[in-house]
Amino acid sequence: MSKSVATFDHGTLCSEWNYCAQRLATGSINGILAIFDALDPDSSSFNCSNRTKVHDGSIAKVVWIPPEFGDAVACILDNGALSLWEEVAQDGQSPHWKLCKCFQMKSRRVLDIQFGFSSTSLKLVAAYSDGYVRVYELQDPLELANWQLQAEFQNVIDSVSKFGKASCSSASVSWIPQRTNNQLLSFVLGYNSNIAQLNSSKVWEFDQAHQRWLPVAELASPGDNGDQVYAVAWAPNIGRPYEIVAVASQKGIALWHVALHPEVDGRLPVEKVTLLSCHEEEVWQMEWDMSGMTLATTGSDGLVRLWQSNLNGVWHEEAVFQPTSST
Amino acid sequence: MPAPSTGPDNPLALVVQSSGENQGPVLRSFDHSVPPPITRLALSWSRGNTLRVSLFRQRLPTSSESSADSAIAFAANDGKVGGRVVELKVSNGGSEIDDALWRRISYGSASPFALLQNRKNSVLALSKVPIASLSNVEWWEYVMEYSKEIGSLLGDSKQFPSSMIDDPRRILKDVKESTGLKAGWELIEIFYADKLSQAWLPERLVDWLADYDCIFSQTLTTIHSKLVDIQNELIVFQATEDNPKYWEGISSALAVGWLDIVVKLLRLHGSYLPDQIGLREIENGLVEAVAILISKMPRLRPKLVAAQLGDCYKNKPDFSAAREKWRGQLTKLECSSFWIQCGHNQTREGLRNLIRIMLGDIDSLSASTYNWPEFYISQLLFVRPFTVGMEGMYNLAQKCIQLKPVSRLHSLLGMLIGILGENTEVVLAECSRVFGPWMVAHAIELLTAGSDQSQFILQEERHNLGGLTIEELNRIVYAQVLASHPLTWQLAPIYLISCAKLGMGFMEMLLYRQPVQHYQGLLKNLEFCRLYDLDHVNSSIMKIAGMHHWKHGRKGFAIFWLQQAQDHVCLNKIAQQLFDFVGKSVSCESFKQWEGLIELLGSNAKTAGGLDFLHKYRDFKKFLQQVHDGKTNDAARQAVESLVKLMKNPSTPQRFWLPLLHDSVKLLMWSDGPLLNVSQTNLLLNKLQELSVAKLRPDYVEADLPPQALSSVRLALATNLGRAILEE
Repeated sequence: MSKSVATFDHGTLCSEWNYCAQRLATGSINGILAIFDALDPDSSSFNCSNRTKVHDGSIAKVVWIPPEFGDAVACILDNGALSLWEEVAQDGQSPHWKLCKCFQMKSRRVLDIQFGFSSTSLKLVAAYSDGYVRVYELQDPLELANWQLQAEFQNVIDSVSKFGKASCSSASVSWIPQRTNNQLLSFVLGYNSNIAQLNSSKVWEFDQAHQRWLPVAELASPGDNGDQVYAVAWAPNIGRPYEIVAVASQKGIALWHVALHPEVDGRLPVEKVTLLSCHEEEVWQMEWDMSGMTLATTGSDGLVRLWQSNLNGVWHEEAVFQPTSST
Repeated sequence: MPAPSTGPDNPLALVVQSSGENQGPVLRSFDHSVPPPITRLALSWSRGNTLRVSLFRQRLPTSSESSADSAIAFAANDGKVGGRVVELKVSNGGSEIDDALWRRISYGSASPFALLQNRKNSVLALSKVPIASLSNVEWWEYVMEYSKEIGSLLGDSKQFPSSMIDDPRRILKDVKESTGLKAGWELIEIFYADKLSQAWLPERLVDWLADYDCIFSQTLTTIHSKLVDIQNELIVFQATEDNPKYWEGISSALAVGWLDIVVKLLRLHGSYLPDQIGLREIENGLVEAVAILISKMPRLRPKLVAAQLGDCYKNKPDFSAAREKWRGQLTKLECSSFWIQCGHNQTREGLRNLIRIMLGDIDSLSASTYNWPEFYISQLLFVRPFTVGMEGMYNLAQKCIQLKPVSRLHSLLGMLIGILGENTEVVLAECSRVFGPWMVAHAIELLTAGSDQSQFILQEERHNLGGLTIEELNRIVYAQVLASHPLTWQLAPIYLISCAKLGMGFMEMLLYRQPVQHYQGLLKNLEFCRLYDLDHVNSSIMKIAGMHHWKHGRKGFAIFWLQQAQDHVCLNKIAQQLFDFVGKSVSCESFKQWEGLIELLGSNAKTAGGLDFLHKYRDFKKFLQQVHDGKTNDAARQAVESLVKLMKNPSTPQRFWLPLLHDSVKLLMWSDGPLLNVSQTNLLLNKLQELSVAKLRPDYVEADLPPQALSSVRLALATNLGRAILEE
């Protein structure tokens, strides 16, 4: 039922698989970015093929760049900076990882990032500890060094309000998964902060006509009171007439249906379809499978849970996996 | 391949269950062998429905912890693994079939499935009416052909039990391992697909139980298990008729219609032994009379297979008449005076019990069977052979279940009850729970072919499923299982293509997520895209491949794939990079290399503005090289033509004007006479003039040329102009 596919170096803090689940990037407490590869494309045993020191402190998170832009990862560092590293090789030489870009802002830490792209551009959404979201755009698809700040805004539904002195401990960003007929640039973002208005998850959409980001939906019920959001996950949509977004807060995991088309006021109709209770305290991560029909979650209870809907649309906990160690 | 799963091992199985009741999650543990403590977990879905769980021992230092604290924590972990990634198959392998066999079944079943879909599509295209409403005999034949082909993949047809010629004391044939999968498939085939069997369903069930009673032996006491015991005893002991188990075995086998076994067992009776001649003639005559009546039992079925016994009748009136006559013979024998002359008590009682069974005595049938399915079959055979219609069969089954309940309901029996109750959702849920996604995806073809009601349930679009039908959902679930393994993912499109609603969306995602680094795999992937007209995914894949090669120093490959992807943005950027070579010395060693790249970029200049310039520049540079190599005036003339073309072309960036002219100084001062006429020279002078105006602008880029470049060009142009005026 289970088998080990890779073993981490000691001090490893985070990991991320690339788009085809054939490469693994890990970050460690001593600033080492390690890349794991399989010798054979059909093999499911991965060994470390490269270790690069990218930072003196620790790497809190690694995120792969979409494969259309090469083999590259973004590392969120413990000092709040974000650095982009890519694998390059010259003729006949073995590949190595080089630094392309470092995003660093004084007194603001990057909490979470995700990449999203349309046919024309690659965008990087970074949620900062000051409660601001900054969207960067890649200027040259061949050069990961050239980024331009495209937008800067707070995660609030009313764009007039501004909240100063926000103290955010974590944030979670999830882009709408890419689809053929959908060139829409959209993401959902939730905060874990001391300001209720920032916390609730909002769906942001890029308005091509006016080149600006607009909040098109807020995924919160009247009783949520700006609950801190631990994680968000936008489900792949292989053809449903609505989107599904999972939002984890202290109350549990809420699943939201988000309409595909806006109402006259530009807002997307949303509906909370269920609230799943789980993971005792905090949800660490939520991952949808490729069909968008199964949600896998993990959290502070140390368990892995799978959630599914039955034919009547009722979501329930399908399976629980408990890690055990024979050593 | 992760085998289509069974039971609670398969979370996806319950997607297809209709029940809204929460049965509680399945709790499973997995071993990761990482020394404690585990401080954090991370998840990632791999291929299909394989889940990878990362387990970390190192805790992320909080903002209040100093780096010294982190270092201490790090040192504490020294020498041990930092964690592990464990791959979980959320749809686990079936317990009775190994992975290799599952792969064989998966590959074997894909082609009959595809053929049936093609036939369905052509029939629909021609008739424009739903499949189920077709009275087309041919269509039933197609479904049966499909069913038989799939059935043959699941194992050989077993003739169990059957007599052996070589050893008279072996009554049971050594059967190959029976699979519940095959039993389940045949059950669905009997009730839904095989239209011809509708007239003799009871006898079909008799055959089915004969083949698969051994499967129930794992959890229940069965006639099969009893016969196995008896066979073992028969090999050791003589004087079989004294053994009560011998008579029990015979009556049980008779109750469920295994007539060949009954006759074979009867002929092991001691009265047949040569040394008994003259001593037990009456007894032997009675045994043989019963054996003859058994082997002449009328049966409502078109034919018998292999060693089966009985007289077949295809229609009810004939069967009814024959049955009455046969029962008359049984009654006559029962009342015969010969029984008094039979001295062997066990034989007399045993044989009379057999007659009572054949006459349909409920108590005898009940005593000879061990569970409700066996009792049910015995009733169909000897009490209600004319039972028709599912309602009648279901009611009879309910009665049998009440009279002979089983302690643990075998999954196949759950399915049988669902079928008899005409409850498609239960059949599907049992199918899914027990046999997993493979079975459901394939059996739905039989279910929809056999019943309008099933067709309605399975092909109705469901809002709760995002507009999917249950039929499509199950194909997608199975495709996801196929996608979980590198050896089977290529079968998934066969099932996805038959999901009108969401199949293509899934296929796009599946193809997009295949690795591109290996050429053969890439080609195969692109072939799928072409086959299913997925142009967008096609170009995404080629772009990924192009970018991968570009970043890894294989620029030729990169340009090839980016061109295939028609990625004009990247191609233009590459052209921009090649601009950097412009104006470099003609003897530059990299000339050959970038000349090759321009060649690769192709002549379709319209697709990329920068390329037009680069091609002309390449030609110009080539001729200039020939001039420098001491070639003739022709080369010089061609070089000048290229120069004029370049300077006239609006796509030539202004920053290259001066380098181009500077390269051409030798041409402008050509010793054999002016190469440019007056108007051409004026054009170049105008460009030079424009350049001096542009110099005043802040965005002007200074060319990397010697300081006297401009004056030398001006002088050369003046020289050429002067000579041209003189010549004209």
